[in-house]
Amino acid sequence: MNRVLPAARLQLVTWRSMVGWPWGMLAASFAVNVFFYGSMGDLGRTTVTGGLICIYAVVLVALVQSVTQWFPFALGLGVTRRAFYLSHLLLLAAQALLYAVVLYLLGVVEAATDGWGVKLRFFGIPALFLDNPVLQLLGYAVPFLLLGMLGTAVGVVFKRWGTSGLLVLGLVGILVGGALATLITWQGWWNATGSWFAAQGTTALILGWPALLALLLAVAVYPVIRRATP
Amino acid sequence: MNTIVTVTDLAKRYRGVTALDGVSFSLTENRIYGLLGRNGAGKTTLMQLLTAQNMATSGDIAVFGEHPYENDRVLARTCFVKESQTYPQSMRVGHALRAARLLHPNWDQRFADSLLEEFQLPPQRMVKKLSRGMLSALGVIIGLASRAPLTFFDEPYLGLDAVARQLFYDHLLADFAEHPRTVILSTHLIDEVSDLIEHVLLIDHGRLLLDQDTDDLRGDVVTVSGPVAAVHEITVGRTELHGNLLGGTARVTVRGRLTEAERVQARALGLTVETVSLQELVVRLTTGAGKTEPTAKEYAL
Repeated sequence: MNRVLPAARLQLVTWRSMVGWPWGMLAASFAVNVFFYGSMGDLGRTTVTGGLICIYAVVLVALVQSVTQWFPFALGLGVTRRAFYLSHLLLLAAQALLYAVVLYLLGVVEAATDGWGVKLRFFGIPALFLDNPVLQLLGYAVPFLLLGMLGTAVGVVFKRWGTSGLLVLGLVGILVGGALATLITWQGWWNATGSWFAAQGTTALILGWPALLALLLAVAVYPVIRRATP
Repeated sequence: MNTIVTVTDLAKRYRGVTALDGVSFSLTENRIYGLLGRNGAGKTTLMQLLTAQNMATSGDIAVFGEHPYENDRVLARTCFVKESQTYPQSMRVGHALRAARLLHPNWDQRFADSLLEEFQLPPQRMVKKLSRGMLSALGVIIGLASRAPLTFFDEPYLGLDAVARQLFYDHLLADFAEHPRTVILSTHLIDEVSDLIEHVLLIDHGRLLLDQDTDDLRGDVVTVSGPVAAVHEITVGRTELHGNLLGGTARVTVRGRLTEAERVQARALGLTVETVSLQELVVRLTTGAGKTEPTAKEYAL
C-alpha cells in the first residue's frame, strides 16, 4: 500500500501558509527594493540586489519546521517514517521546480521591462554565470534543493537527538571545518584549492556540486529519520 | 474470534529506566480493552510500541499478523489518539480532520461533522488556540470517525467536562455496536468506563499485573467488615490487600472469590461482604500496602 502521496497531500492541507510565507516575504522584499531604487532616480546603470535570497531563507526555515511539526503529526496518523520522508522529498522537489519556473518567468518580465522601470535586477541571474534558459531554471531550483535538504537534515537531527544533537552537529562542523582549514594551511594547499575551484567552471560550481551535496544529504538523512521518534 | 495483536516478552528500556518488562498478552478482534495503571506504569510506552511510534528493546509484536514498524499495511488500519499529540502550528480544526481523512481508509466524514457539532468545536479555530478540553475533543473525533480496525485512545479525556466525556463514551459504544473494531482505552477514570470495557489489562511498574475479562474480575476482590475475630475467620488464608481496624471492627479487602458456603457463613457471623468496584480493585492491586507486587500468574492462582 503506497502512502507516500497521501502523506504528501497531508502537508498540502495547509498549502496556503506553505506557499504564502516564502512568496509574501519575497513580495515584501521586492516592493521595498522597487520603491527604494525608484526613489533614488535614474542612476544610469542597472542595480543588482540580493533580495531574492529571502525566499531561500524562508524555505530553509520552512523545511526545518516541516520536519519538526509535520513528522510527529504524520506519524500520529499512522504514516511510516519512510512514507513521510519520501513525501517530504517529493514536496521539496515540487516546490523547487515550481518556484524556479515562477522566478525564471519573473526574470524574463524584469528583462523586458528594463528592470521594472527603475533598472533593478531583482530576479534575473546575470547571463555571465548561466546563459542558457534550462541552466538558469536549474540555477533557481538547485539552491532550493540544497537549502531545503540542509533544513531537513537539521530538523531530523533535532527530532532524533534533540537539542544536544544539534549542538553536537555544530561542534562537529566547527571541528571538521577547523581541521580542514588547518590542514590546508599547514600543507600550503590554498593555491591548489583555489585553482581546483577555478577549474570546475561556473556550471559545476553553481549547479553540479550543490546538487550532488543535496543528493548526498538526502541519502544520509534517511537512516537517521528511520529511527527517529515523534 | 481472531487474534489481532500478539505481544511476546516485550521490554522497553530507556537509559537506566525500564518502562516495560516481560509483557506478554494477546488481543482479540472487536472488543473494547481497558489499559489501566498508574502514571508512569508504562501504558503510553506500550501503545507507542504497538503503533511503531517507538522501538522495543526486546520481545516480539505482531499486529494483524505483522510487525508494525514501518509497515503501511498495519498502520493504515490503526489509529492512535494520544493525549500528547502535537499539531502543526498553521493548522485549523478543519485541516486536522481533512488530514486524518487522507490517511484513514474507513473515515466517515458525516460522522466527523456531527461529532464536531456535538462537541462544539469550531472548524475554523486554530488548533494551537484550542483549550485542553477542545484539543482532547479533536482527538476523540479523529479516533471515532477514523473507524480504524484497531483504535488506541491514550487518556483521551484530559480537560473534557463530564458531559463531553459521557458523549464520548456513548458514541464509542453506539458506533462500536454498528462498526465493531478493537479499541484500547487507557484511562485513570476507571469507574466511568467500567461498564464500557470488556477486558482489563493492568500494568504496574512496566509489568502486566492483570489480563482478565471485566466480568470475571467482578467479585474477585471483596471487602469483609464486622467483628475482628469473625472477619479473620473468613479472610484467613487469603491475600490481604488492604485493611483497617476501628475499635473492635475490622474492614479487610482480600483477593479471591468467596464460595457460596463462605457467604452464608459470613452472613451468619454478622459480617458485611461488599464486592469491590473495578476502580478500587485497581487501586488495591497497584498499591499493595507495602507488600510485594502480586504478579498476574500469582493472581490467577
